[in-house]
Amino acid sequence: MSIVDVGQGQEVAGPATPSAPVTAASLRRRTTPWVLLAAGLLFGIGLQPQLYPAQERLVSTVLMFVALATAWNLIGGFAGYASFGQVAFFGLGGYGTALMMVHLNMSFWLAMAASAVVAFLFAALVGAPLLRLKGHYFAIATLGVAEGLREVVTNLPKLTGGGGGITIPTFGPNAPTRWLGNDGFYLLFLFLAVAVVAVAIVVASSRGGYALRAIHQDEDAAAAMGINTTLAKTLAFAGSAALTGAVGSARAFQLQTIYPDRSFDVAITVLMVVMVVLGGSGTVLGPIIGAISVAFASEWLRTNYTDVHIFLLGGMIIVAVVLLPQGFTNYVRDAVRARRFSLLENVRRYRL
Amino acid sequence: MNESPEPIVRARNLSKRFGGLMAVRGLDLDLYPGRLLGVIGPNGAGKSTAINLLTGHARPTTGQVLVDGQDLTAARPWRFARAGVARTFQIVKPFRGMTVADNVAVGALFRARTDGGRRTVTAARRAALETLDRVGLGGKGDLAPAELSTADARRLELAKALALRPRVLLLDEVLAGLRRGEIDPALQLIDSLRRDGLALMMVEHVMHAVATICDEVVVLHHGEVLTTGKPAAVFSDDRVIQAYLGERFARRAAEARRATEGNVR
Amino acid sequence: MAQFLQATVYGLLQGGLLALIAVGFSLVWGVMNVVNLSHGAFVLAGAYVALQLHDAVGLDPFVSMVPAALLLFGFGYVVQRYLVNLVVNGPIFITLLLTFGLELVLVNLMLYLFTADHQSIPTGYAEGSLVLPGDVRIPYGRLIAALLALALTVALVYVMRRTRTGLSILATGMDRGAARLMGIKARHVYALTFGIAAAMAGAAGAAVGAVSTFSPADAGRFTLFSFVASVLGGLGNMWGALYGGLVLGLVQAWGGQLLPGTLVNAVAFAVLVLVLAFRPQGIAGKPFYASRLEV
Repeated sequence: MSIVDVGQGQEVAGPATPSAPVTAASLRRRTTPWVLLAAGLLFGIGLQPQLYPAQERLVSTVLMFVALATAWNLIGGFAGYASFGQVAFFGLGGYGTALMMVHLNMSFWLAMAASAVVAFLFAALVGAPLLRLKGHYFAIATLGVAEGLREVVTNLPKLTGGGGGITIPTFGPNAPTRWLGNDGFYLLFLFLAVAVVAVAIVVASSRGGYALRAIHQDEDAAAAMGINTTLAKTLAFAGSAALTGAVGSARAFQLQTIYPDRSFDVAITVLMVVMVVLGGSGTVLGPIIGAISVAFASEWLRTNYTDVHIFLLGGMIIVAVVLLPQGFTNYVRDAVRARRFSLLENVRRYRL
Repeated sequence: MNESPEPIVRARNLSKRFGGLMAVRGLDLDLYPGRLLGVIGPNGAGKSTAINLLTGHARPTTGQVLVDGQDLTAARPWRFARAGVARTFQIVKPFRGMTVADNVAVGALFRARTDGGRRTVTAARRAALETLDRVGLGGKGDLAPAELSTADARRLELAKALALRPRVLLLDEVLAGLRRGEIDPALQLIDSLRRDGLALMMVEHVMHAVATICDEVVVLHHGEVLTTGKPAAVFSDDRVIQAYLGERFARRAAEARRATEGNVR
Repeated sequence: MAQFLQATVYGLLQGGLLALIAVGFSLVWGVMNVVNLSHGAFVLAGAYVALQLHDAVGLDPFVSMVPAALLLFGFGYVVQRYLVNLVVNGPIFITLLLTFGLELVLVNLMLYLFTADHQSIPTGYAEGSLVLPGDVRIPYGRLIAALLALALTVALVYVMRRTRTGLSILATGMDRGAARLMGIKARHVYALTFGIAAAMAGAAGAAVGAVSTFSPADAGRFTLFSFVASVLGGLGNMWGALYGGLVLGLVQAWGGQLLPGTLVNAVAFAVLVLVLAFRPQGIAGKPFYASRLEV
């Protein structure tokens, strides 16, 4: 089993091999992802003292996107319900935390937990009608929710500061929690990323993962086989919302001042989706690879081609989507199995 | 023959309306353990709708469905599955991105927990392999569903249903498109399921299979029950012949029968 | 009361223009199941074409609707034929990402060429208004824009339903496999469809340039309005885009009277979500399309 199969269950294989009983090999397959995750955590901790503050902030942002992309993958990759409004939960987490800390003087940690719960409940509520939709409809409906939420937040200036933003007190007597500092936030995002990936590993290798994959591939057949599809979808949606909300909460605290346009920016959702798609949706490793590559690429473009970096980012997205529509990890897995590495042939996959 | 006095599935006065069309009307059905009920009828007679009504894939307009005494009338498909009612689909619906074994494991993971066994992925995979052996797909667990032949794809569909350890199994044209040589092993498999005590219902077009293996046959026409009875009786019923082949053949068959009866006398 | 009437008039006029913007978007979605996130950018492109023609040769923007449409048609055809067709068979978020990338490229290209300054195309007569009893004003510019937009939309419906090309587009939309078996070249038909949609958007853009200010940053808004109008009216139905556009225009106009600030947009989104949740086929669409549009 190659590393790209980690946490996936047995994906489509090549020529027939005898069905293997539970062996040491499968045991190793089950513990490998955890070992890798622990290694990643240690690497992250060890990396920190080596970084300059600016680099540290960059890596924090990359870790944030690892968490966001992995969380999106739960509903978009595993279950196949491409939520294009995921930033709604990010913003909800951020603004929830800001409001709780500003108006209720809550400590950040409590506010973060509470924001995650709020995001969970909101997603469960909104998911009730929306998860009945399929494909584009679901994507657009969730986008509408995110945009609508942004407008609502913008138009409640007394509560949220409206378009002018809201600032979380981080120093002095008013601050319920001291600002964590670059180092603190680095660790926070590292732990969040590890936590979200851990959730993804558990989901991928559990009953729930089977349910979501089955729903993705044939929802009717999944229902006929005893899967409570509504429950599974709702849990995936609300769960990914809660994780996204926690990340949004941390980001808000880090930025100190947040604005509706940035906290609910559709570009954040699109980045999440691009990362998952390019990395390989429906796998645990995919979003991680995608997040790291796209975040660094975007940052590199921004520093080196500041004026045109969005233009180039758009071009990069187009090229990548055309050449690697199934994502990097899936491409590697298929290419290794079939021994066909041509990217151009890859283009034929989805063409008309 | 195991004949339990109580049916596991009891459907009363089922009907289903789609807009202006009454697909099924006034359907009464009982399914007994260890017995195989055949459902036949010309195309459009409402046979697939009947299966959908009995498994939660269609919501009855009127009527009632009881499974083991439990009223599951408007329940969603997963509740039927958990109650032990499994089905195959006429156009097979495998999970294309999973291996054959994983396809079956899904059923093993989500069946009703009646045996106290833990539903872990490992246990489910093990159960899946056993089920694959049962239907004759042993050794093909690691293939992709797309790589299976038609006959094997049907077996997979059956294996998926059996993974639920159902007490009731509804087969939707499971023999369609099979060659002669493939039908007999399929019938043997179905027969063994009956001997295991499953309550079986089989929607079919392959008449000789229905004649051979069914305990009882229901004929649907325009959504209503035309007649029921033992296969031999049903197949020589004028009305059935008329429904399938039209008036002319029904008359010819009736004349032929009268002629032979006349000769005998 | 007069204010309400005025708002209604504005709403209808704006709605006519929105309908023209939305009809191409709805067509592409209905026929090819492609949601073109760069549709708004095409509208802006049309506006800038009209602006350039006005600056260069003094061409009236309403007349520029023609060259804008032609240019955008060519561009749209090429984009679909050689880019979007490459991913059309994949899962939906692939095409969404592709068109999003396209949007980034187009909008930033326009920002680079024309800067983010708000522009508009002055015409002598557009400022004047028809004044109805009750002091209700109908600005000439908006009136012409709305009438042209409606005329184009009706013409499009006619072309789709009565010409061979149009019918082949509709047929391919309903069953691509069957259409191909009947000799229809799907790749070409798709490109044609996208080209027509881009042309409509470009023409609408020229009209927008005549009646209000625009800048590349407006692209996203136009795309979103196209969504709402298409969903409201129902996909697979071009009259639907018309109804949807008109309703959206009215909702925006009335909402602007009643609600503070940009909250009216929240209302538009709420309408979008509610329609999707409870009547996905929209006002005029058939449930067939709502169910067909899975993955």
